[in-house]
Amino acid sequence: MKPILLAIMIFVSATFVSAQAATSEGTAAAIRALEQEWTTGQSHNDNAALDLIFDNALIYVEYGNLVSKSEYLSRVKHSDPLSDQIELQPMSIRIFGHTAIAVGVYAEKQMRGSKHELRRWRFIDTWVYKKNGWVLVAAGSSPIMN
Amino acid sequence: MVRNVCFSFLLVFAAAPFRGQEADDPDVKSKIVALERLSKVQAWKAKDIKTLDKLLDDNYQLVNSEGKLQNKSDVLALVQSSEVLDYIADSIVVRTHHDTAIATGRYQIRGLRHGKVFSERGRFLDTWLLKAGQWVTIATLATPTG
Repeated sequence: MKPILLAIMIFVSATFVSAQAATSEGTAAAIRALEQEWTTGQSHNDNAALDLIFDNALIYVEYGNLVSKSEYLSRVKHSDPLSDQIELQPMSIRIFGHTAIAVGVYAEKQMRGSKHELRRWRFIDTWVYKKNGWVLVAAGSSPIMN
Repeated sequence: MVRNVCFSFLLVFAAAPFRGQEADDPDVKSKIVALERLSKVQAWKAKDIKTLDKLLDDNYQLVNSEGKLQNKSDVLALVQSSEVLDYIADSIVVRTHHDTAIATGRYQIRGLRHGKVFSERGRFLDTWLLKAGQWVTIATLATPTG
C-alpha cells in the first residue's frame, strides 16, 4: 500500500512541478514577445500596438526624465523611424506571481548629423498581469559605461 | 535609540495587513513613500544592513547609473563599503497595481567610497511587491539625469 501511495505522491508532485515550470516558461516567452512587439511597434510608429502594451498608468524613465504614456506615444508618433533604430539583445525574466521583471540590453543607433551614433543601454521593465493580459507598468534604462 | 525605534516602527508598518486595499489606495502610496525614505535616506546612511535585508527581496535586481546589473548581495556590500554623507530623495511619485507598487523620484547622493569622494544625481525607479504581507523591493533602476 505504502509504495503505491508514494508513487502517486511522486507522480502528483512531478506533474505539479512540471505545470509550474510550463507556466513560468510560458510567461517568460509572453514577456519576451511583448518586449519584441514594443521594439517593432516603436520602429514602425505603431501607436495602436503600443497603446495595448502599455498600462495607462505607465511610469517610463527615458534619458533620465519621467515620461507619461501619452507623452511617450506622442513622441513615437512624430519620430522618424530611420533616425533611431533599436536592436534588442537577450534578456532575463523573473516572475513574482502576477508581476514580472525583464532585464536586458539594447543597442540604439541614432543619426547625429550625417553620422550614426551607437549606444548600449541596460533596461529594467516591470510587467503586471491584468484582466486583458500582461501590461507594461514601469520601464527605464541606464547607459552602459565602458 | 530614537532612530532604531523609528526603523522598527516602519518595519512593522511595512508588514501591516493590506487586506481589502485597492489599487491606487492613498494609504499604500504613503507607506511606499515612507519605505522609500527608510531604505534610501536612512538605512543607506546608517549602514543598516538588517533593515535593508528585510526591504530587499532575495531576488532583487538593480541596474545602476553605469548600466551595471547588481544583485542583493552586491548592494549590501556596496552599502557596507560606502560612507554616505548626504542622500536626498525627492519628488517621489507612486502608482499602485494591486500587490505591486511603482515608485520614482529624483536622488542625490554624496559620500566616500574606498577613500574617494563620489557624488551622483539621477532618477530612481523602484518596483515594490507585497509579499507575505510585507512590502519588498524587487527591482531598481538608477539612471543619470541631464
